[in-house]
Amino acid sequence: MVKDILAKFHEVAASPRAQMDKYMAEGKKVVLTAPVYTPEELIHSMGFVPMGAWGADMELNRAKEYCPAFLCSIVQSILELGIKGAYKGASAIVIPSLCDTLKTLGENWKYAVDDIKFIPMTYPQNRKPDYGIAFTKAGYERVIRDLEELGGKYDAAALVESNSIYNKHNASMRKLDEVLAAHAEITASQRSDIFKSAFFMTKEEHTELVDQLIEELEKTEGTAAKLPVVVSGILTDAPQLNAVFEEFGMHIVADDVAAQSRQYRTDVPECDDPLDALAVKFANMDNCSVLYNVKKPRVQWIVDTAKARGAKGVVVVMTKFCDPEEFDYVMIKKACEAADLPLALVEVDRQMVQFEQIRTNLETFRDMLMM
Amino acid sequence: MAEEVKKAEEVKKPRKPLDPNSAKYKLGKIASDAFANTIEAKKQGKPVAWVSSNFPVEIPETLGIWTAYPENQAAGIAARGAGERMCNVAEADGYSNDICAYARISLAYAKLKECPEQDVAMPDVLLCCNNICNCMIKWYENLSQELNIPMIMLDIPFNPDYEVSDAQVAYVTGQFWDAVHQLEDLFGLKWDDKKFEEVTGFSCRASRAWLEATAQAKYTPSPFNGFDLLNHMAVMVTARGKEEAGEAMETLLKEYKENHEKGESTFRAEEKYRVMFEGIACWPYLRATSRGLKDRGINMVTTIYADAFGFDYNSFDEMIRAYCSVPNAINLEKSRDKRVKLCKDNNVEGLLVHTNRSCKLWSGFMAEMSRQIGEECGIPVTSFDGDQADPRNFSEAQYDTRVQGLMEIMEGNKADRAGKEA
Ligand code: SF4
Ligand code: SF4
Repeated sequence: MVKDILAKFHEVAASPRAQMDKYMAEGKKVVLTAPVYTPEELIHSMGFVPMGAWGADMELNRAKEYCPAFLCSIVQSILELGIKGAYKGASAIVIPSLCDTLKTLGENWKYAVDDIKFIPMTYPQNRKPDYGIAFTKAGYERVIRDLEELGGKYDAAALVESNSIYNKHNASMRKLDEVLAAHAEITASQRSDIFKSAFFMTKEEHTELVDQLIEELEKTEGTAAKLPVVVSGILTDAPQLNAVFEEFGMHIVADDVAAQSRQYRTDVPECDDPLDALAVKFANMDNCSVLYNVKKPRVQWIVDTAKARGAKGVVVVMTKFCDPEEFDYVMIKKACEAADLPLALVEVDRQMVQFEQIRTNLETFRDMLMM
Repeated sequence: MAEEVKKAEEVKKPRKPLDPNSAKYKLGKIASDAFANTIEAKKQGKPVAWVSSNFPVEIPETLGIWTAYPENQAAGIAARGAGERMCNVAEADGYSNDICAYARISLAYAKLKECPEQDVAMPDVLLCCNNICNCMIKWYENLSQELNIPMIMLDIPFNPDYEVSDAQVAYVTGQFWDAVHQLEDLFGLKWDDKKFEEVTGFSCRASRAWLEATAQAKYTPSPFNGFDLLNHMAVMVTARGKEEAGEAMETLLKEYKENHEKGESTFRAEEKYRVMFEGIACWPYLRATSRGLKDRGINMVTTIYADAFGFDYNSFDEMIRAYCSVPNAINLEKSRDKRVKLCKDNNVEGLLVHTNRSCKLWSGFMAEMSRQIGEECGIPVTSFDGDQADPRNFSEAQYDTRVQGLMEIMEGNKADRAGKEA
């Protein structure tokens, strides 16, 4: 049973296009959501299927007509896929301007991909004070207007419903993360599939499948981890990277990965108005390199979580050219040193074919942790 | 982003003393005094802020907080040849060499607290504004952690629309007053509306003179070498809220007008071609990049900086809108239209684009935008790879080849036009 559920996650994670075709065949409209955060609840409530667009491992050709080489490969491959028609049929793409590279993605998209509408989502960085919440709400209202042009309809009652569907999914994902920590028989690749598939399924379907998996796993005594680690970064879905984790017996007991757990930490709170509630959710979000917080609580979060979950070390998976993460890395490194927590840094990008360097680094790290 | 320094060669070669009434003297003095005065103020226990180049200077100026501008400092350090050394210090601490070189230099300075190529006073507070990039947020967050001092964040998000929305004005206004109150509390200062009015007056006066001075490139030949602007801009960054800035800028304007009347120019060669330069200067190679143009009779007559410091406004709302409309905060269409206007107003014949390894935002949609500018203005576009402060990312040979290529197309276009007219 566990095997079957994992196979389903794998199938979805490996074939986003098939998922998109399936939804479109059902008469649904798909809206792409770019990293790092978008108001998915809102998109869902207006009758669209939000699908994550985090690029793909591929060679870049056409994107080079727009992007200099020093933009991260996530953004470049999103553009490449757009230009090459991989997202054909999608109604729109929502792109937030949370980092400098994402700001440029939207601008390029308008000219590079003319059959998929660019919808900007402008979030405030001073998101907690009232004026920040008001600005987030204004950003959502802008998204609503754009989605209405595409045939969507805003309805507060529908948003109440969607907020609750997303909160339920969040709760399941948080539970899953805890359960997986105690089940080292679930490999890094399988863990990655579970998280990745969440971007390509409706949350209702994904929650159901995740809950089934949790139920099955809880029936069994999990295998203890040989080498428990915490992984941090933007994206860690490269199969070769996960194969290296597996080869060296590293078990991910918690993640601080933007494409994984960072998505699910914060729920939409109860408010009279569901759109206000969604804006307050953004205000409450934290612990992320693209969300301003001068105290950088994320750094301590990593150390505390590693301790709480019994991790022997932290692996930072750096997406090449991701400057928000590159700045945070120095602080993470210092905090880990101060806490006597071993740390490894590996660099990935979506054009990478040679993982030898990563293998060598993590092998050395393994040896160090085993000493 | 913005920053200015004396050219490297001026530092080395003794030159005949400048006329103290000249704009060059006045502007140079304001720029260098800015560093020295703040160091002096710090010694006397006055509060010092490190400030992002496009932070509303009206705030620290009105409150009487002394300022230093890390971008400006980093440019100075890079122009005097210490960019790589400082970058290495930051990299040894774990900062990736993909990070903006200004940030690396500044973080290195925060650690060493000295750099003979350009010292500054150490700050008591950080005033961060991300209207030029979000990199700034991360950089200042780390400074705040490393130096253990408060940071005030004025968030001006990138505007994907052509006009600034009322929602954005309200959001920035809320933060403006919050920043003021935080600073009042931190240093026991008091906001004074009269002083604010005075400061805004100075800022508008300096901005108007700057806009008009840079607009003198409408004449052919241009009365100035555009590399001058890269240097004089320091004053617009660091001192536009001070009275002497306006006065010095007016002197500059007067000189440019006189140059035009007398048929003179600070471009010391025959002006055969006129280009717009896009991007931040390559400070470590200022001389090489300038000479590569001058030797071919190419005058860089304009840059977006000509427009960037046009903080001329008539009301508080307009001031906020101006800060929301600085070059890196606006969408492709608005960025393009501003440049097209500069090209047309100044009879530009070619566009030379610096693909700046340090600046993801500036370079990230430059390819598409410069294609559109080239088409709309009917001018050739060429780019070269470089970096504003890390000397390792520039190749003089590539620069030379690209500039030569650009010149040949401009030459061909001239010949075509002459043929048609004949
Ligand atoms: S990987 Fe980093 S640079 Fe790229 S889009 Fe994400 S946050 Fe921005
Ligand atoms: S990233 Fe660009 S805009 Fe930001 S400080 Fe560096 S050079 Fe200036």
